[in-house]
Amino acid sequence: MTFSWPPLVPRWAVAAFVLVVAALAVAPAALDLSIYSRNLVTLAFLMISGALAWNWMGGFVGQVSFGHAALFGVGGFVAARLMLMEPPAPAPLAWLVGGLAAGVFSLGAHPMLRLRGPYFSIATIGVGEAARLLFTYWEDFTGGSSGLSLPIDMEMKDRLYFWGLGLAALVVAASFLIRRSTLGLQLLAIKADVDAAADVGVNATFNQDLVFALSAVVVGITGGLYAAYFSFIEPGDMFGFDRSIAFVLMSVIGGVGTVLGPVLGAIVFVLLRQFLLASYPQLYLGLYGLLLVFIILFEPLGLTGLALRLAGAVRKRTRRAPRESLA
Amino acid sequence: MDRFVDLVVSAVLLAGLYATMAYGLGLIYGVLRVVNLAHGGVIMVGAYMGWILHGWLGLDPYLAIPLVVGATFLLGVVTYRVLVRHLPRGAAGGPASLLLLFGVWLVLRNAAYLLFSGNDQTIRTAYSTRAIPLLGSYVSVNRLAVLAIAVVTPVALHLLLKRTYLGRAIRAVAQNADSCTLVGIDVERIYTITFGLGTALAGLAGLLSATIFSFNPGFGSGELLKSFVVVVLGGLGSVFGTGIAALVLAVVEVFAILVLPSYLTAAVGFVMLVLVLVFRPGGLFGQRVLG
Repeated sequence: MTFSWPPLVPRWAVAAFVLVVAALAVAPAALDLSIYSRNLVTLAFLMISGALAWNWMGGFVGQVSFGHAALFGVGGFVAARLMLMEPPAPAPLAWLVGGLAAGVFSLGAHPMLRLRGPYFSIATIGVGEAARLLFTYWEDFTGGSSGLSLPIDMEMKDRLYFWGLGLAALVVAASFLIRRSTLGLQLLAIKADVDAAADVGVNATFNQDLVFALSAVVVGITGGLYAAYFSFIEPGDMFGFDRSIAFVLMSVIGGVGTVLGPVLGAIVFVLLRQFLLASYPQLYLGLYGLLLVFIILFEPLGLTGLALRLAGAVRKRTRRAPRESLA
Repeated sequence: MDRFVDLVVSAVLLAGLYATMAYGLGLIYGVLRVVNLAHGGVIMVGAYMGWILHGWLGLDPYLAIPLVVGATFLLGVVTYRVLVRHLPRGAAGGPASLLLLFGVWLVLRNAAYLLFSGNDQTIRTAYSTRAIPLLGSYVSVNRLAVLAIAVVTPVALHLLLKRTYLGRAIRAVAQNADSCTLVGIDVERIYTITFGLGTALAGLAGLLSATIFSFNPGFGSGELLKSFVVVVLGGLGSVFGTGIAALVLAVVEVFAILVLPSYLTAAVGFVMLVLVLVFRPGGLFGQRVLG
């Protein structure tokens, strides 16, 4: 198996990416962001990383997972346990180990990867829910339904912004690399037709294992950062079905299978959630449901699809304009 | 030994309920190739319908069956005509239909929260606690009635599928929809009716569960996954296979109570789901469609 280095990502895209990351890095100091908005942006970074990683599996390979919360929870609790050790492990190391633990956990799902389409999705619901029950029951490790509290000081909370930014930037870059490399093409082939892909020499099993493990590591690391961010975690939230749905929703809102869609989706999701939880907490599940229904029916590529459609309309108009002026 | 008999009896009673739930899911998947993730939501809706009819109108849950079945049939027809019909079919439509019907489920759940709050509800009738001796153990009258209905329903459906014109048309569409249009079967109409039938079965299962268990708006998610275990294990639309598979699931679940801490017994269904999918994706008897 060979992986060719991705063909050049356009220079303007690299430049734009560097500019955005740099702008975000100086934003807290330059704009004198309030603690509230800073925390909101940090949360957005985490959700962006998680959504992009879900999309590698759900979008690039086309295996929709309703169980990513299990990976998020494993990463989060392993990291939390390491940070609670005496003496505490350095946070970045704890996050990394948490991510690797989630990666190892995902390899346990190897036999599931030969399931396709709805069978895979349903199996992930089973794994996710079983994991939630098992980890809630395992009180020595997760603290049961009373959860774990982490000693996170303000300084750590400030630094989390930059750790989150770094993670999100890395994951965005990784998404581009995966999509543009031969691996990305092979994933597309697997998504279109596993058997045909295997016929032309794509190692479907290995590629899916690889991508699932990568996705798990990133989601696990995100879980660790999230644990530090909230400084209190409990299995019902970390492993909850709502959390699994969140990963799905963010990608669907932004555009499943696109490179940058989930970034948009995650931002919209975080803002929407903040607004709904504050104003209409009793409506927010149902509104997400309606959103899903409308997106699937009218714009399966979500916000990305909408943007493409708008761009198409604008292009058509600008092209037609001169002709009309002639007439 | 007494305890053993007790457990076997309760497993058999539970199996009937599982078979009813699963049959609806299997019917829809067999004909339309769509996994109806809203199934759990409709089970919950059926339970609340029975609760309303009993609580507000004083209607006995067993007499409410025609009303609930009719209403959920309509709900299925509307869901199909308004939403599912517009989805791409085949492999490409897989994730889309999953996500769409999942959205429907979320909406149903939220609607129930708004209308009835998140509290647990039960349907209590005069005979709720009555039991009769059977095989040396006592069996609740309610559970026996549920079992009887759960046995009659799939058999009736089986006869419908085998003996009537509509049933033959449904089976034909399941095999090859394109050829059906050639011989003058209105495929869209068959899809609509099938989706309605499958949904009505979920509603019936929900009503029956409500006479035994307590329920809240989140009710149905475990039932959906159990239905899936039964469908995969038993083959699509095979009455015999569905019955056996439901019995297997119920026996495993009931006997898990003996060896597992009670908190973890809920996980048994989920673990079984994954094991079945991984090791017996073709079912116990090989995959047959509506045979």
